[in-house]
Amino acid sequence: MIKIRDLNFALAPGFGLSVPRLDIPQGRVFAIIGPNGAGKTTLLNVLALFQESGAGSLEIMGKDAYDPRNKLFLRRSMSFVFSQPYLLNDTVYRNVALPLKLRGEPDEGRVAEMLELFKISAFKDRNANTLSQGERHRVTLARAFVTKPGLVLLDEPFSSLDARIKDTIMHDLRVIFKAAGTTVVLVTQDQGEALTLCDSMAVMKAGRILQHGSPQDIFARPASAEVADFVGVETILPGSVTGKEDNLCSVSAGGKTLEVIAGCAVGDSVLVCVRPEDVTVSKNPDAGSMRNHFGARIISVDPWRLEYKVGLDCGFSLMAAVTKQSVEGMGLKPGMAVFASFKATAAHLIKR
Amino acid sequence: MEFIVSGFQKGIALIFSGNAEVYAIARLSLLVSMFATVISVLIGVPLGALIAVKKFPSKKIVISLVNTGMGLPPVVVGLLVMLFLSRSGPLSFLEWLYTPMGMVLAQVIIATPVITGLSMSAMQSIDPKFYRQILTLGAGEWQALAVCLKEIKLSVLAAVIAGFGSVISEVGAVMIVGGNIRSQTRVLTTATVLQTQMGNYDMAIALGLILIGLTFIINLALTFIQQQKAQAYNAK
Repeated sequence: MIKIRDLNFALAPGFGLSVPRLDIPQGRVFAIIGPNGAGKTTLLNVLALFQESGAGSLEIMGKDAYDPRNKLFLRRSMSFVFSQPYLLNDTVYRNVALPLKLRGEPDEGRVAEMLELFKISAFKDRNANTLSQGERHRVTLARAFVTKPGLVLLDEPFSSLDARIKDTIMHDLRVIFKAAGTTVVLVTQDQGEALTLCDSMAVMKAGRILQHGSPQDIFARPASAEVADFVGVETILPGSVTGKEDNLCSVSAGGKTLEVIAGCAVGDSVLVCVRPEDVTVSKNPDAGSMRNHFGARIISVDPWRLEYKVGLDCGFSLMAAVTKQSVEGMGLKPGMAVFASFKATAAHLIKR
Repeated sequence: MEFIVSGFQKGIALIFSGNAEVYAIARLSLLVSMFATVISVLIGVPLGALIAVKKFPSKKIVISLVNTGMGLPPVVVGLLVMLFLSRSGPLSFLEWLYTPMGMVLAQVIIATPVITGLSMSAMQSIDPKFYRQILTLGAGEWQALAVCLKEIKLSVLAAVIAGFGSVISEVGAVMIVGGNIRSQTRVLTTATVLQTQMGNYDMAIALGLILIGLTFIINLALTFIQQQKAQAYNAK
């Protein structure tokens, strides 16, 4: 569906887009995540044919996307949804029907089908600009799918929605994506969106793809400290592998020995990555089944989403995510002595 | 003071007297200015929209030129058009000097920058992403411009009103290019100047009142359409 080879754009002094190779197969939902200024939207604009041709090659649906003769055909084979809903000052029905009108194609019930699919049939005769933000987003999505496009590009489409509406729309979209078999490229800064909607994803920074693969793989096994940092790994410790038995590596880090299941060799310099949600805090000195168990002092206790983030000093800094009930039940507060543990499978090693 | 009142009385009487010459002058004024406005709209609206949405190296210079054009002195335009259309000028083959077509040409040059500039400003008020959004829905470039212009139709209509206003009331250019020839190129503004110079104040006032009246009626019609659209916009 999309083939990128040696794509290079110099966009501004000190900033360019460089993608040596990227393939997005037909029917996949692909997320591009990364911090602000990573080049995510620029890459999406390249796919939407908004950028002038750069070095390398870009093939979409088997056509050379740099060839101006293919521009209108490709534009009419894809849809683009911006983070803000850009709608005509007209009825919902006419907004959804616009892509068909521009192509000179008959409606044949497709608009009604989309209105039904995106649950906006009740508003079809209302002016789109009088709708709520969530409803307006549904109109833009219905409009994007009305032509049954081969490719849909979504540029942070949920960023201006509140959590409840976002969850509802994402739930509906997941079903629609699967049913339509459309290739979707989603740009987002929200890892939750990527995990919920996508089959595969790429992490970008400074115009480059740092890692791509399945969301589960990237979140569990980030390939670099930058990716680890972006996908929410808060403990990243430099260390070295001092021993290995089967796949169980002993890693010397922060003055302690950690045990991690990994494919590294003795002597490797590594970064040990531990996600906060994989760390358990207790007052119990018994390690149980945990391979890594350390006495620790609490440095900080801060609210985080619906939980708390507890900063720990175990000789090295470790961050744990703890439920509100546990924080209150154990009376966790800074200065308190506790035990911190995590499994050997919960940690991940990045070779340096 | 008395001669002013008397002038108005005679002028109003003249309007309703069925004076064929007065009506012919009014008709020519309307035809020339409306024709010039239509041509200016056909050039200025898409040109203004295109300048607004396109990226090109000398865009700021082009915008400055358009803005300068909005304040072109009509007398200078008239002089240049006259020189171009004169026997030794590069457009002499058109044989438009001292004809209504020459006057239309001069008025097009005056009105086009006004309509272009105001359409450009209106188009620039649209978020550039809106234009891109229309392109991504499968529109060709002209289709996308048309959709965007429809969204700013109230502002475009304001540009049309301003363009028409700039030419119906203009005297210098049509005087030079048309020559103010009786029954051929005499329009309301040039006739008013002539009658004033001749001391026929009642005739001058009559022509002036017709000019104001016609301008008012045309603008009233355009404003009516504009405000109807505005009401429809707000009611949606």
